Amino acid sequence: MSQVADQAYLNTRVSVMAARLFAPGLIERLAHLPLSALADEFGLAALLDDQAAPAARRRAVEQSLFQLLLSELLVLTHAMNAGERALVLDWGRKYALYNLKTLIRGKLHELDRSEINDNLFELPAHIRLPDKELFGAENVLELLRRLEAGPQRQIARQAREVYEQQREPFALEATIDQRYFVGLVRRVQVFDEPHRQWLRRLISAELDRIGLLWLLRFRFTYGLSPSETYYWLVPSMRLLTRERLLHLVGLDGFEQVLEALPEPLRTRCADCRSIAEIQPRLARHSLDEIRLVLARSPSAVARALAYLMLREADLFRLFAVIQGRLLGFDDRIIQHALAQIEPGVPGS
Amino acid sequence: MRLSKHLPMTRIRSWLALLRPESVRQRFRSWTALLKPEPLKPRALAWLALLRSKPMHHHLHPWVSTLKPTPMKHVRLLVLTDDLPRASLALAETQCFHPDRREPESERFATLPGRPFHEIHTQAQARLDKIARLIPFEPVTNLEPARVIDQAELARLNDWLGRLWDETSSYEEDFRQLDDQEHLIHEQQAALENFSHLDIDLGMLRAKTRFLNIHVGLVPRENLRQLEGAVALAGYILHVYLERGDNTHVVIVGPADAKDAGLASVLAAAGFQAIPIPEGLDREPTELQRDFEMRLAAIAEERAQLTETLQRWSECYHEPLREAQRTLRLADPLVSLDESLRSRGYLTHLAGWVPAHTVAALRERLDAALAGTYDLSVRDPLPEERPLVPTVPVKSRLLAPFALLVNQYGIPSYGEVDPTPLFALTFLLMFGSMFGDVGQGAVIALAAWTLRGKLGRFWPFGLMAGGSSVLFGFLYGSLFGYEHVLPALWMNPLSDPLLMLRLALIWGVFFIVVACLLAIYNRWAVGQWREALFGHHGVVNLVFYLALIAGGLGLSAGTGEGFGTSGGFGTVPALLVAGSLAALAWHSWLHQQAPVGEKILVVVIETLETLIGYVSNTLSFLRVAAFSLNHVALSIAVFTLADMMGAFGHVVTVVLGNVFVLVLEGGIVMIQVMRLQYYEGFSRYFSGDGHAFRPIRFGRGPA
Repeated sequence: MSQVADQAYLNTRVSVMAARLFAPGLIERLAHLPLSALADEFGLAALLDDQAAPAARRRAVEQSLFQLLLSELLVLTHAMNAGERALVLDWGRKYALYNLKTLIRGKLHELDRSEINDNLFELPAHIRLPDKELFGAENVLELLRRLEAGPQRQIARQAREVYEQQREPFALEATIDQRYFVGLVRRVQVFDEPHRQWLRRLISAELDRIGLLWLLRFRFTYGLSPSETYYWLVPSMRLLTRERLLHLVGLDGFEQVLEALPEPLRTRCADCRSIAEIQPRLARHSLDEIRLVLARSPSAVARALAYLMLREADLFRLFAVIQGRLLGFDDRIIQHALAQIEPGVPGS
Repeated sequence: MRLSKHLPMTRIRSWLALLRPESVRQRFRSWTALLKPEPLKPRALAWLALLRSKPMHHHLHPWVSTLKPTPMKHVRLLVLTDDLPRASLALAETQCFHPDRREPESERFATLPGRPFHEIHTQAQARLDKIARLIPFEPVTNLEPARVIDQAELARLNDWLGRLWDETSSYEEDFRQLDDQEHLIHEQQAALENFSHLDIDLGMLRAKTRFLNIHVGLVPRENLRQLEGAVALAGYILHVYLERGDNTHVVIVGPADAKDAGLASVLAAAGFQAIPIPEGLDREPTELQRDFEMRLAAIAEERAQLTETLQRWSECYHEPLREAQRTLRLADPLVSLDESLRSRGYLTHLAGWVPAHTVAALRERLDAALAGTYDLSVRDPLPEERPLVPTVPVKSRLLAPFALLVNQYGIPSYGEVDPTPLFALTFLLMFGSMFGDVGQGAVIALAAWTLRGKLGRFWPFGLMAGGSSVLFGFLYGSLFGYEHVLPALWMNPLSDPLLMLRLALIWGVFFIVVACLLAIYNRWAVGQWREALFGHHGVVNLVFYLALIAGGLGLSAGTGEGFGTSGGFGTVPALLVAGSLAALAWHSWLHQQAPVGEKILVVVIETLETLIGYVSNTLSFLRVAAFSLNHVALSIAVFTLADMMGAFGHVVTVVLGNVFVLVLEGGIVMIQVMRLQYYEGFSRYFSGDGHAFRPIRFGRGPA
């Protein structure tokens, strides 16, 4: 079967689903919509029932939007082969890792079981961690040892070793994030052309964004040494490659790093004075790249993943507006929050 | 205003005591009278009365229950929240209460009273399981005498288990450290083995030199590349000298004035593990090797000592741990009720399903346990609740293995005929007739009997299937393929294949008619009249099928008397076939929501499918005869081959041939019978979308 015929079903699925993405006009309008209009437009009336407490409504909406995203993810995986499915499910497993981080933080701060539970995402079986078993762990080390017995053993082993040596949550969470992205990069490498080229572009859009943010944060906010900063970064396959990161972490000032960035990041981040200013610009850059993959890629799996990333960003936007409304914020603050939405980061 | 948070417990007890023996109206009056003096009570009791006086109409047809294996009742129990452990114990003892997890109709019951108990239990059980991994103890087999476990006792047990786990986990940690030390020695051995080929002073690797810092160790292979870049930034170079498993052995070397502090955190982040370089590297390799062996032996001894110490230390805990396991098992019923419990203040609401014949026993047990301070209301399931009502599984030991096969397809839903007895009977008939051989059947039966320990509840299945095969073997006169040793009580299938095929067709028609009748009954029983009449395999379908068979018989017999024909299909059957097909088409037309063209297409295809389906399904039963013929034919083939051999070869071929027939044909016949049952039978009349009756009971699994 030819490449086109092989991909036809998934491509058609993605094209049909892409019609659900928010049009630019709707994104503009979102910040000005009252709660009732949001409920009507997105069918969330039952969840935004006035009788429930704001926190319960916020939680219900959040869960519902994640369920929607993950159900679309599972629909798309039905039309994929084993390798494609594994990549897309791995991408979705970041929510399982958010749950893991929540569990770790909960155990570190000795939080009540129900308090931890309230902050976990409800995930489908393909993606979720054995939360019930992990709950039974008495401390972080025991939790990670239990996790080592499952499919997340690579991440868990590394995280445990780091935690045993350093005993601090930063190293633990940085390891989890790093292992997650390294795993994604490794998945992409096994694809043939043209999938690999477009998947690399897609994943690199994410890696360039988080790579620069982490670099600036670790180097100039946390004051880590160049070597340690470099160690925690995950080189991208397009702009912030290994060699470029090695050069950038050695620079001593914020402005110097921005100056030394490759194009188009340098133009995008020109005249920025803080990480907060850089963040929305990098988010725009990533989203533009992802949209380009969705529009032009001949690889159906790359398009499917691009669709999921954009859909995720849309749902984050919607959630941000609803949350803002529930907390009684005005349009200006909500609009500002919308500009901060980054792909792949809930609650950003 | 809150209902019962502010009411005295004794008062509620007295209300509930008053509620029990009287009729609803009397109870309502007595509550009202009782509650008059205080402002809170009338509302509370009026609400209770309202809950208790819910209408109980819309029952299922009473006659339906006569064909049900076990009629069920819905019960609603109101108990004092403090009495929950006692109530759950009583319910578990009766083993007849299947919790209904729906929320109560009244939104006032909003609290989850069993949740804290459940959470403590879960943690305690997890701790006990972890402890049991290190301190194995005899599991509890007897829970008698049963006693009430309240939350305070459970919490105390959980705390004790927590403290015990703290101590026990230190042993676990010691074992892990020994494992790590052992692993490191193996890595060291590998590293030094590698260094021995180099012509350098290995002593230099042990410490800092004046100009160089040297780190020798291993790092997870996946971190290597990133670490290489990171150490380069700190002014070091990384050299890989060995790869073993998931780890890479490296030497990291840098100038003494390099930024070593930064490097330490990078090495820690990368999971770098330093390999100590032992003293006296210039010794003989055999001496070094002996040194390693001694260290490994020391670790093994240390492990043995640790195991012994743990054993000695834990001996006194065996009995308390058994008691802890017993307590947790006794607390299980309340944990399994957790999701069904809703409370408001002192009152807790609990609903469930019980077999109708156990209601009196349940009431009796609750009386004894709660001294009358409860309210139990019982009603028939409502029609809309039918999908929620659990089905009590078949209790018969002989039918149990067949029930397992039925459950592979689905569990009978409430109101549906349990197909297990019919399945068992038809399965044995078909299996025996398709695989009739006295010897091979006896082997199957004997194997099932011999392996009954391993086959569990499944062994009677093998025994009966073998028995059926033996029975038909006598009818066919077949013994291990020898067709002339035993006199056939009936006939050898190959002596009249046409008769066999005819009988198989008659059997098929009978089977399909019974399946249709059951389908009609199942729908009628739950009030789906229209479906019973016009639905798939409903009355109209059955009329069509019988008319088709009658017409077919007329055609084949060439007589047609009695059917208004003279040697052809017959007028009456033709009219019935046409009429029933027209009725089905009309019914289908009414239920289509599509443009006219599409409706016509769908109706034509569906009608054609009905016609073809019944014909092909009936012909499908020819396989019953085909396999009985096939069995004889295979035996003939085996004997033909055997006859070509000498005496010894003959015996070997007959034995191997029988094994071949037994395994291959036996397996195929089994699959074919299952196919006929599932496809021609179950797909017609059995929805299988019910769920099994699982009453709450004491936990049974070992810790």
